[in-house]
Amino acid sequence: MKKNKLKLKRQLSLLPGHLVVGIWCLFTVIMLLWIVAASLSTSPEIMKGEALKFATGFHFENYVRAWTTNNISRFFMNSLLYSVTAMIGSVLISAPAAYVLARFVFKGNLVIRSSFITAMSIPQIMIVLPLFSLATRANLSGSKIVLILLYIGMQIPYTTTFLMTFFAGLSRSYEEAAAIDGCPPMKTFWVIMLPLAQPGIVTVCIFNFMNIWNEYFLSLIFASSEKNMSVGLGLKSVLTAMQYSGDWGGLFAAVVIVFMPTLLLFIFLSRTIIGGITSGGVKG
Amino acid sequence: MKKNKKMIICFLTPALLFFLLTFLYPICRTVLMSFFSVEAVNDPMDLWEFVGISNFVDLMNTSVFQVAMINMLKIWLLGGVIVLGIALLFAAILTSGVVGKSVYRAIIYIPNIINAVAMSTMWINYVYNKRFGLLHTFFEKIGAHELAMTDYMNGEIKFYSLLAAFCFGSVGYFMLIFMSGIEQIPQDIFESATIDGANKIRQFKSITLPLLKGVFKTCVTFWTVSVVGFFVWSQMWSAPLSSELSTITPFVYMYNVTFGTVGSTQRDGGLGAAVGVIMALVVMLVFGIMNKLIKNDDLEL
Repeated sequence: MKKNKLKLKRQLSLLPGHLVVGIWCLFTVIMLLWIVAASLSTSPEIMKGEALKFATGFHFENYVRAWTTNNISRFFMNSLLYSVTAMIGSVLISAPAAYVLARFVFKGNLVIRSSFITAMSIPQIMIVLPLFSLATRANLSGSKIVLILLYIGMQIPYTTTFLMTFFAGLSRSYEEAAAIDGCPPMKTFWVIMLPLAQPGIVTVCIFNFMNIWNEYFLSLIFASSEKNMSVGLGLKSVLTAMQYSGDWGGLFAAVVIVFMPTLLLFIFLSRTIIGGITSGGVKG
Repeated sequence: MKKNKKMIICFLTPALLFFLLTFLYPICRTVLMSFFSVEAVNDPMDLWEFVGISNFVDLMNTSVFQVAMINMLKIWLLGGVIVLGIALLFAAILTSGVVGKSVYRAIIYIPNIINAVAMSTMWINYVYNKRFGLLHTFFEKIGAHELAMTDYMNGEIKFYSLLAAFCFGSVGYFMLIFMSGIEQIPQDIFESATIDGANKIRQFKSITLPLLKGVFKTCVTFWTVSVVGFFVWSQMWSAPLSSELSTITPFVYMYNVTFGTVGSTQRDGGLGAAVGVIMALVVMLVFGIMNKLIKNDDLEL
């Protein structure tokens, strides 16, 4: 009882802190909730500022309209394809590299490590022009493959650096035991070491998925037609169309569809995600 | 050992190949390109015409680019002070033992995981909306009718409405970095300070801040990288146009010059490359200055 009172007193002394952070959080929550509410209201209701009243019930047809007429379905599927393939691709390519870099001493190891770290702060603006001409010359522009390849490439420095710390933390006794049993080193990696690094791989996969889902610039440059657009670009085109149609409900439904996947991932995995940012990860 | 060599080569090659094609080659080519006059980005090299540093000179004399650089500087300096300040404040509050820390932390971080187009759509079409927006409704409720009529998307205030929305979304990430920095400071330092009679604020000023120097350096570098990459927000704020002077940034300018959708500007790949090089130099410069100013302490955070 006394302990509880002490606890309460301590929280009371932290009240100004609670207040400051609380107002900020309240603003964020109101914003998100209002958008969801508006996505279920009719456009006249939204215009009158009565999105939270639901006087005419919930209008799920906004979502149907956004998904079909506004073509969000296509952009959604594109982004899903880009995010999932590039997420898997970058791990398959980075994990072996990370393992080798973490485990073996060889000429160039340090150079490769520091190049990867430097690459993480290279502005996209610096690399996009040659990539564009490269894609044109390889006759790949206008296809989905070029975006997938680029997304894989963009994630490799970060993914490798992140996984390196994970492999470095694994005990060498696993490999020694495997070697005694006659397992060749490469097989040891795929069968024993890779599964052991699973927590790191899961974290880095979530990051890569979210990064690619939210990517805008490369998609703008390389998705030349609507059929290759990602959700960010697609949402922007919905926004432009809305200027003429006045379909606010559909617009907000499209916004919700676009942010829902990453928001759900974050809600369910926030501990992993936040842990990943603050421990080994350096990129948001 | 020989076996290892084969394994090292097999495991590294794919990653290095990607790195070569998506980073190393493009960086070199952009640097080279910035010294040439290149009409279309995908022109082969033999169509390039060497012009020395004239691309850079031209840029410096272009008023649009000057405006873009000033906008970027304003975002960097003003936004940087605001974002890092709020992030540090929040980090200090959340590590002071408040109940519900992880909930607060998660909610503050949410804007970072939402697609920037979705995020700015919410700001423009809800928060800043003149008819039914959050700020409009709020000011109406408290009776500030004059304030409620503010048009956030026009005139002088437009840049600041953009800056506020961008800063709001950036705080969470830097807060997390500061928090992990604070949490790595050994607790017994605070305990002995408390015994010596130093209050919380004094402890923050004399212990936390000095020990966060390294973290601060990291934050400034990351902030610079994110400001140099300032693109989507600017495009959203100038929509339906692709750019507009009040919110243009070098990145947007580069996009206009090289992929030229705007009628008036002539396409010039070399000029665009020069913008890229300048931006990379900016990042390097900030990094260099931070390294000079703040020496890493023994306490690596």
